[in-house]
Parts: sequence; C-alpha cells; structure tokens
Amino acid sequence: MIEFVDVALLVLLAITGVTIIRLRNLFAAVMMAGIYSLLSAALFVVMDAVDVAFTEAAVGAGISTVLMLGTLALVGHQEKKPRRPAIVPLFVVLVTGGILVYGTSQMPPFGHADNPIHQHVAPYYLEESEHDIEIPNVVTSVLSSYRGYDTMGETAVVFTAMVGVLLLLARGPLPRRVLLGGEWRTVRPGTTREELRAEAAHALDADGSDGDGSGGTTPGSPGSEDIVGEQGGKHG
Amino acid sequence: MDDLVVLRVGTKILIPFILLFALYVQFHGDYGPGGGFQAGVIFAAAYVLYALVFGIGNALRVMPAKVVYACGAVGVMIFVGTGFVTMGLGGVFLDYNVLAHEPSHGQHYGIIAVELGVLVTVFGVMVAIFYAFAGRRRLDP
Amino acid sequence: MIETVLDYASWASILGGLFFMVVGTIGVLRLPDVFTRLHAAGMTDTMGAGLLILGMSFQTVVGIMHGETSYWSVLIRLVFVYAFLMFTSPISTHALARAAIVSGLEPWTNDHEDDA
Repeated sequence: MIEFVDVALLVLLAITGVTIIRLRNLFAAVMMAGIYSLLSAALFVVMDAVDVAFTEAAVGAGISTVLMLGTLALVGHQEKKPRRPAIVPLFVVLVTGGILVYGTSQMPPFGHADNPIHQHVAPYYLEESEHDIEIPNVVTSVLSSYRGYDTMGETAVVFTAMVGVLLLLARGPLPRRVLLGGEWRTVRPGTTREELRAEAAHALDADGSDGDGSGGTTPGSPGSEDIVGEQGGKHG
Repeated sequence: MDDLVVLRVGTKILIPFILLFALYVQFHGDYGPGGGFQAGVIFAAAYVLYALVFGIGNALRVMPAKVVYACGAVGVMIFVGTGFVTMGLGGVFLDYNVLAHEPSHGQHYGIIAVELGVLVTVFGVMVAIFYAFAGRRRLDP
Repeated sequence: MIETVLDYASWASILGGLFFMVVGTIGVLRLPDVFTRLHAAGMTDTMGAGLLILGMSFQTVVGIMHGETSYWSVLIRLVFVYAFLMFTSPISTHALARAAIVSGLEPWTNDHEDDA
C-alpha cells in the first residue's frame, strides 16, 4: 500500500515537473512549482521526515511562491520563445541524469539497518538523546545540540543570503509614488514636484494644479510607499 | 479599497492564529515536528500575508526595513552569543550542559535560546527578501 | 447500537465527501470559464473536505466511546481544521474571482456558443 502511495506521488511529481518545463506562462509555472513543493512535502511525510516536510511546505509552497510572484510582477509573465532548440542543455541534462540513475544502482537499499548512515554517529544520537538531552524529538536535539555548530553555520548562511539579496536588489534611493493631476505615478527618486508639474504641463497644457504633497503617501493606501531599490533605465 | 473588505476582515481574523501556530511550532519543537526555522518561516508568512492584503506601506509602518535587516543579524548574534555564554560559564562553545545545575536542564535552556536565534534570523531574512522584491516597481513609461 | 449508527453515518459522510470531490474535479476540468470552475473548486473545499472531516469526527467519536481518550485531541484538531477551511476556502475563492473580474474577464453566458 505504501509503495502505491510512493509511486503515485512520484508520478505526480514527474508530471508536474514536465508541465513546468512545457508551460510558457510563467504565472502558471510558479503555481505548478508550488504544487511541486506540496507534493514533495507529502512524499517526505510518507518517508517519516515530518520536520523536512514541514519546512518544504512552508518555504516551497508558501514563501517562495510569493517571492516568485513578486519577481514576475517586475519581469512580466510570458516566457520568450527560445530562438533555437536547446540541444546542448538537453545533452547535459540527459548525461547527468543518466549518471545519477546509474549511481543509484550502487546505493544501499532504502531504510536498511546495515546502511552506512546507520553505522556512524546516528545510533549514539538515537540511543543517548533521551538520556543526554531529555527531549522526545531527536531531530531537534541533533539539530540544536549535537550538531549545534552545523546549525550555527546554517543560520549564518541564511543571513548571508539576505546580505546577498540586499546587495543585488536594494541599492540606491527609492522610486516615489506621486499624485499628480489626479493620477498616481511612479517616478525616479529625486524628481521634484516642480519638474513633474512642468513635464505634465508640457504634456497636457493644463491641469498641473492639484499635485499633492511630498512622497505622495496617503495613510492607509497600500503600495503607496517604497522601501528599497530603484528601477533603473526604464524612464524615457 | 472598499472592495477588499472580505480579504481584509478574513486576514485580520487569520493572522493571530497563524502567529499563535508559529509560536506553537517554536516551543513545541522539542516534542513534535517543528523548530526555529519552521516557526520563523510561518511568522514571515503571516507578515507577508499582512503586507499583501494591507499594502507594503502599512507593513513598513509595522516593521521598517531597517528593523527587519537588524532581525537577520540579531538572530545570528543570539546563536553565537549562547556559545560565548557557555564558554564564559566554563564549558566549551555551545556546550549547554553548563547553563544549569542539571545538565539536561541546561540543554533545554540552550536549545530554547538557539532556536530563538534561528527564528529571529529566518523571520528577518524572509521578510527582508520579500521587501527587496515587492518594494521594487517599474517606472511609468 | 449507537456506535453502529455512528459508523454508518461516518462512512456515508466520507463517501459523500468523496462524491463531492469527484464532482468538483470534473467541474474544474469541464466547466466553461473561471467563475464556474471556481464554483466547482470551492465545492471540493466546503462540501468535499467538510463531509470528509465530519466522517472522520464520527470515527473519532466511536473511538472515544470505545475508551480511547487520546482521540479527544484528534476530534478537537478536526474541528479546528474544519473551522480553518471554512474561513480560508471562501476567502480564497472570493479573492480569485475578484482578481478575475478586475483583470477584465467576462463571465461566460449561454450566447457564446459558437465555439462549443
């Protein structure tokens, strides 16, 4: 029975993966990626790795979907048609996949007691955790206590990820939202209202009188303010 | 704005429960699945939900970008600081046994402190990355 | 006696939930536009999952009557899951329908039958 669930989940994963490749609409691809994460979370549950499943469901299906949608809002949601068929990438993928499949033939059987992973420190952790640390969840005791250095490194890696994203994306002053002539506009940082008025007056020959206050932030209006980053090079 | 009322009311009802669940995951991590990382992600998800429904501007009033960036660093400092405290108490780095008279109690304290550090870092990093993406917008042509 | 009745009620609920799930899935695949499909998808959440949870609650009640006190926590959790579904499913359906309207989709009506 459990094999049936495994096979069903893996088949669904494969279908989802192929669908993601074939989709040209990136919004749909992002949604399929969320489904992929949810399916892998279900697979982890079947394999009794609930902690990992939890993380996968929260990060993969939750946060990363939102982040990818935020990216799509910036880059548009239609993938460009490739100009020529991607022969070399296909070759690389097929060869790598073939080597990996070949490698599985040497893998020890799944869950077998004689596997190397069950010979080293794991038996000690499983047997002594109850006595050393006295908490029931061995995953937590390994993660936080026995392997505290590793978790510290992971936390530092997560922090480094933030630093990297901020270095790439959060540079310079912010674009401003300004209410000008009755409509909101997103403008370059540093553009003064007078310049915009002059531009608007030039464009419309009228109606430059009711531009509103600096920064254009109305309390309670969503998205009326910016935090980080500027969108360079798009302004005509 | 008024046509978002269903979303807003629903979000207002849901967010406290999501935060409560995050706390449950954090403090129940010793007994069941969960821990700092998962709790941090759930916290961040609740916050991102707020930002999506009520707007980035309001979210920034709740927690400015600088606070979020600081969270990312403070969490790592809590983690490393726990290690230094154990060193100061005569153990080795991250040896929680010295935190209390009973070694297993010390382990409990140490794990709680360390998980708190992970929670704060993960929350800060997730929200900072969300701000970095959602705060950008295209200039009008 | 009462246990047998509860058992039958539980299986009836679970089968009913599965029926609504299947009908909802067929609806998502076959109905003509976003709004009607949303109706089908929302039905899998409310009726399908709702009846499944009801059936599972009957099963836990049977377990409690057999003296399994640990099933109380399962029952409470099921009630919370049901409440959560009752909040989130209509809200997400509403949000999707609203997004579809805002982005300019027109509801399907019977006179667009040229491509049917």
